[in-house]
Amino acid sequence: MVFVPLLLTWVAAAALALMDGRRRSVGWLAVGALAAGLAATAVLAGMVLDGGARETVAGDWPPGIGIVLRADALGVVFAVVSGVVLLAALAYEVAAGVSSRLFPAVVLFLATGLTGLFLTADVFSFYVFFELSMIAAYVLAYYGGEARQLGAGFIFAVVNLLGSFLFLLAVAGTYHVTGTLAMETVAQRIAGVEPNTVILIAVGFFVAFGVKLGLFPFHFWLPTVYVSASPSVAAMLSGAVANIGSYGLLRFGAGILPAELRLGAVALIILGTASIVYGAIQAVSRRTAAEVLAYSAVGQAGYVLIALGVGGPVGLAAAVVYSLANALNKALLFLSVELRGWLVGAAFVIGAFSVAGIPPTAGFFGKVELFRAGVAEDSVALVALIFLGGAVSFLYMFQIYQHDFWRGERRGAASPRALRGMAVGLAVVVVTLGLWPEPLLAAGRRAAEVLMGPT
Amino acid sequence: MTSLLVQAVARLSLAPMLVIAAAVLVKGYADVGDGFSAGVIAALAILLQYVTFGRETAERRLPLVRLPAAAFAGLLVALAVALVPVLQGDPPLTHLPAPGAEVTKLGTLELITAVAFDVAVFLLVVGAVVGIIHAVATAEEDAR
Amino acid sequence: MTFLLALGVGVLFGAGAYLLLKPDLFRIVVGIVLIANAANLALLASGLRRGRSPIYPLEGGEPSDPLVQAMAITAIVIGFAVTALLLSLAYRVYASSRTVDLDELSQAEVSRERELEREEVSV
Repeated sequence: MVFVPLLLTWVAAAALALMDGRRRSVGWLAVGALAAGLAATAVLAGMVLDGGARETVAGDWPPGIGIVLRADALGVVFAVVSGVVLLAALAYEVAAGVSSRLFPAVVLFLATGLTGLFLTADVFSFYVFFELSMIAAYVLAYYGGEARQLGAGFIFAVVNLLGSFLFLLAVAGTYHVTGTLAMETVAQRIAGVEPNTVILIAVGFFVAFGVKLGLFPFHFWLPTVYVSASPSVAAMLSGAVANIGSYGLLRFGAGILPAELRLGAVALIILGTASIVYGAIQAVSRRTAAEVLAYSAVGQAGYVLIALGVGGPVGLAAAVVYSLANALNKALLFLSVELRGWLVGAAFVIGAFSVAGIPPTAGFFGKVELFRAGVAEDSVALVALIFLGGAVSFLYMFQIYQHDFWRGERRGAASPRALRGMAVGLAVVVVTLGLWPEPLLAAGRRAAEVLMGPT
Repeated sequence: MTSLLVQAVARLSLAPMLVIAAAVLVKGYADVGDGFSAGVIAALAILLQYVTFGRETAERRLPLVRLPAAAFAGLLVALAVALVPVLQGDPPLTHLPAPGAEVTKLGTLELITAVAFDVAVFLLVVGAVVGIIHAVATAEEDAR
Repeated sequence: MTFLLALGVGVLFGAGAYLLLKPDLFRIVVGIVLIANAANLALLASGLRRGRSPIYPLEGGEPSDPLVQAMAITAIVIGFAVTALLLSLAYRVYASSRTVDLDELSQAEVSRERELEREEVSV
């Protein structure tokens, strides 16, 4: 069962790569395949959240030798949310008209890689799926093929490859000190290894995922890429690919290296704060909507880091809920940023409210969880920072709205109905999660339980 | 255009290189070798043709244009190796025939799923590399 | 052996990092390739045990952990794909801007943006 969503999109990707993706029928076929993959993931998520983690070992090899796929609460919620984002963005692009032969297939490869890395229980297959999705992301980043996109795509690829190889070096280190690749066994054995070595490995993992997430000191590639990418690609990168970073920090930080995470908690909170402040200042001072959103993404990544630094069941649940809500917000905002028409304005406002954490949106509960984490830490400064960050993000979002929708920068004929439909559809998801947040919150708690382990 | 010597070497070495690739591919189960290195050797042989004779001549002589499609066909074969056992109710990538069972032999080549998988990898590598060479060569001509 | 491999990883990574800092697209690609190979070498080295032959024991005895070889070949394949992608990307940048120098590329970018702004003003 665990393999089904993975193989569905993979086979579809290989088959669609043989066809001309610019034809509308091929595009909708890809959307159908992605929807089927998402449905399979959702069924799997239901089974996992009801009945606990599920596991399949490839080829029936004995444990420790075969490649293990393991679906637990943390993995499936990330897989489902990334699937939703990819589906909306792909449908958007297909409705708008795909301009490259391979685009639908590449998106399916990206979906395969993401599902794989969220569902694997093996450190090295994590790397393989991670590279599969990143290579697809590099190809997507220069989709459009203009000089500006090519340059941005090149920077994106080089910086992230550096991150990937640091990750690989950390994997080599992990294997050397523990002699195993299965995440659970690694977590057990690494507790007994000499701390200095483990800290080195932990820093490697942290830098690798920090680059993916676009945290403050590693963010420099992010604005160029998000601004020059087309809206659907920016939505995929910020709503699905960036999830690798937050998931990786949760899985490797809290799941495998909890002792090192506690050791670095203060550093994480400081870096997170720097990210939030830097992102907010940059975002307020920018004028074009895409730039504001890009810098806002740097800031939002900081909240995840703070929640991770607070740790414990409350902090980890907050990190999960916040990253999921944030992925949806970002996808919604990037998709609606270039559209015209009054419903799109409403969708954009919902996205902006969600980023600022105003009810009734999913982002509100992300912020509530963060507040709980701040209160659990008994830190006035943290609560104040989260509140202030929300206020500033409301300010810059309102600036875009004023500039684009009120001052008439975006008057004129409304965009095609299908495109507006996609933005409004995502907005409905965000509002629904705001009005009925129990599934999201429960998923966050279950994911935190997975990470806290059986202790 | 490249010198006569290079042309002669390229022409003469094509067939031996492809044979070596095939040898590396099939002996992978008992000895050193696998689909990836075989694919790289074959792709290098083809690359040499492109570099020496130019895209048009190389593609006129060899039916290479279909190879990029072969890459994805190869990927489909590899996925089929993973998927077929699932249809029989086993976990993905289960080795067929099962350990200890009778193995069909073709000469000294044993027909097992690992062979199918390596052939798929071979197709994937050759196809992808030729596809890239083709794309770059075409872009070069367009730019001119 | 371990020391030699460690030295190799260090030199490869250092050379790669040095090339990454050059303002030339193709040097950057080569830098990434060197760093990829440093990582591959580190993977190979991670399975070595003192007193055991790395791959093929000639005088009998146990070889070192074979799993790292499998990991290394996987990483090599991935590095291969990534190199091909980066090279074709660098080539496309060159084909569209006729330069591989990063400084010239960013200057071209700035002048293009100025042109766009001028067009906006005249509209």
